[in-house]
Amino acid sequence: MKVGRWKLLLPLALLTVGATVTASGALATPAQSGAVRVAIMTDCKGGFGFAYELDIGGAQAAFAQYAGGKVKNKNKPSAGMTGISAGGADVNIVGYGCGDDTAATAVKETRRLMEQLKADVMVGPLSGDEAVAVANYAKAHTKQTFIIGTAGSQDPTMQIAPKNMFRYHGDGAQWNAGIGEIAYKKLGWRNAAIIMDDYSFGWTSAAGMIADFCAVGGKITKRVFPPLNNADYASFVRQLPAPDKVDGYFWAIGGNTPGSLTAFEQAYGKADPKQFIGNLFFAFLGNDKVVAPKFVGAYLGGFGTGPGLKTKQAKRYEAALLSHYPKLPTADGFVYNYYNAAWALVQGLEKSGGAVGAALQKAMPRTLASGYEVSDDGKVKLDSRRQAIQDQYQLQLVKNKDGSVGPVVIAYVPNVDQSFGGLFKPSSPPPGRSQPACKKQKTPWQGKLKAVKNGVITKTTIK
Amino acid sequence: MSRGAWTPRAIVERSLGLAALVIALLGPAIFSSYFTTTILTSTFIFGIAAASLIFLSAYGGMISLSQTALMGIAGYVVGNLVTKGGAGGETKGLILGWDPTLALVFAIVITTAIGLILGLVASRSFGIYFLMLTLTFGVIANYFFGQVTKLGGFSPIASINLYMPGWIGDIVGHPDKLYYIALGVSLFVYVLIRYLVRTPFGISLQGQRDEPVRLASLGYTVPLHRALAFGFGAFVASLAGVLFVWWEGQISPQNLGLGATIDLLIIAVIGGLGRIEGAWLGAFAFIVINNYVRDIQFPFASEKGVLPWIGGSFNTVIGVVFLLIVLLSPGGLVGIWDRVWDAARRRGGPPHAQSEGAEPAAVASS
Repeated sequence: MKVGRWKLLLPLALLTVGATVTASGALATPAQSGAVRVAIMTDCKGGFGFAYELDIGGAQAAFAQYAGGKVKNKNKPSAGMTGISAGGADVNIVGYGCGDDTAATAVKETRRLMEQLKADVMVGPLSGDEAVAVANYAKAHTKQTFIIGTAGSQDPTMQIAPKNMFRYHGDGAQWNAGIGEIAYKKLGWRNAAIIMDDYSFGWTSAAGMIADFCAVGGKITKRVFPPLNNADYASFVRQLPAPDKVDGYFWAIGGNTPGSLTAFEQAYGKADPKQFIGNLFFAFLGNDKVVAPKFVGAYLGGFGTGPGLKTKQAKRYEAALLSHYPKLPTADGFVYNYYNAAWALVQGLEKSGGAVGAALQKAMPRTLASGYEVSDDGKVKLDSRRQAIQDQYQLQLVKNKDGSVGPVVIAYVPNVDQSFGGLFKPSSPPPGRSQPACKKQKTPWQGKLKAVKNGVITKTTIK
Repeated sequence: MSRGAWTPRAIVERSLGLAALVIALLGPAIFSSYFTTTILTSTFIFGIAAASLIFLSAYGGMISLSQTALMGIAGYVVGNLVTKGGAGGETKGLILGWDPTLALVFAIVITTAIGLILGLVASRSFGIYFLMLTLTFGVIANYFFGQVTKLGGFSPIASINLYMPGWIGDIVGHPDKLYYIALGVSLFVYVLIRYLVRTPFGISLQGQRDEPVRLASLGYTVPLHRALAFGFGAFVASLAGVLFVWWEGQISPQNLGLGATIDLLIIAVIGGLGRIEGAWLGAFAFIVINNYVRDIQFPFASEKGVLPWIGGSFNTVIGVVFLLIVLLSPGGLVGIWDRVWDAARRRGGPPHAQSEGAEPAAVASS
């Protein structure tokens, strides 16, 4: 009886392994040519796994809009896309990367996409440390091209800055340009504490808040840094000064925003929205339903998007996106930034005649008419390190007529560059627990924030 | 049956081993670049790490969950010592810019020393208590490197493989170099362990595994034996750690986290906790499944299939394989081989023939 069992199991196991290995191209084969091979790297696990369909949908909507892609399932972008062509070349999406917001998995997935599936171009990744890891990978793989999806850490295009990596959106600090001035002028904060996820995006996001707030004269009295995706924030919120000891809190927690705020309320009682300024995670990635209802009236940093912005360019983008994937949130950066990355790729391929490698990197556009861009005829510009100089929009959580709560644009900050007016440099340390220091300085947009009312940018300066 | 005798089984096993070695030596010519530089290179590296775990389990009766952490410590030592800062340089860790060869030696020495200290602490614990203690070491290491940002922090120390010893040269542009180095180190570790377990130390280590009280009564210092074995396991893990950062190019706390610890345990269990060969077999099976199953659609688990909630993911498949191995062959893939061989012998020879040729080690009861 036992012998019979093994007689069955062993050949089956060997057959499975053999078939898998052989079918998966283990044996050396000649290099493939022809179609451009594109990989979309995003997260399907971890704190940002929720964004999997958003990211893929954003990228594929651009392929559908500008490169003839045919959507397979309007409600499920990961079902795939066919018929993409650009610059006379067919474009095949060879795979979707499944990250979990860690650098370790990002490298594993990048290897799978770029080496096993032989992608020429990656659109992605999603998250801060992932982009740091992919940027370092890109340094050693110069023939392949990397267009960051929506990751907001500073390092990939400031300190690392491989020549084959492009980012058509702001980093986490850029997204928060102007929010410190709003805290100082509209809320009257003079000192604040800050809590940030202890990884590259948390640090970069916090760096924007700190730099902007300190630039106008504010003081940061305490910095607290829980690990990303922490489960229990009790000990960390206890490190913050009590609400009666500080004017307000900058909240740069993205992995578990609801959990961190719950811990705060358990420690100090009900939170006053006017004492909180969040980053994009107060309103995106599902937090519009979990966090936002408790914080109606709170201000938050942006995502490089303008929810409700009434410009022709914004409306064109929103209509195009929804025509391909009707359920995607248009002003969510997880969608919008991937859309722009893929659109830039299409433009690059058109200019390179479908060539990849160095030819594509040379042909990648240096400006892009992204949906929510207004300044310079509505064009995002790339700097010398291929990083976007982008308009930013600061937001406020408001109650809509249907009872839901969501973000609206309240301030417009044009042409925010990654150096933050010279504060950040390639030779300076990237944002960290103690970087940047809090110091008063002049930023290019200081005193020039324009109020936005009902989706229209006014000439009124925020005072 | 004397050890090393050319029994039929030994002949078959050695022939298979030799064939595998020849194929491995010809790997870059036979297989695709991805298969050699990713699948096989990582098989060798994780095989070495799993060998350290299997050595402790099979010959010392200690199932250690610290091996991933020890591997990570070696990686962090290399990362902190070799990388350089400044414009265009690295930004995480100590960025000391040491000579890579010196850093390599330091990594091995420091990791082995830490292993010896941990071994001394844990040497009087047995069974589940030893398991929990070593798991605690692993968790501490994970949080230590995540929280002490001067040594790295949550974000990775990257581009470590750009700082290689001069006698090795560029492995980023020539990844086959690392393939052969990992293959060579695997062979070295395999031979070293096979040699060690035949020395008086190895024999007494197996003695304390089976009868610690009796061995102590004979005058042996059991805790010292266990601590030294743990130190040796740390030495082997440190080799895997150095190779890992050369291969991966970076190190972050996730590389020594709970997930990575469990992955290594799964590799060892799939391969077989009873024989050293299982380390590389388990690593190969785990890595092949991890890399290739993702793109296979299972009819029963697809969107329109009978069981859509199962999904066609790696985790599902590796979980099923793990379950099957634990239920049907506690000795892992190597155990299957042992059973098949014994079954074949029973059919062709005396029913109670001793299973010859197999290692004296047994699956640890702890």
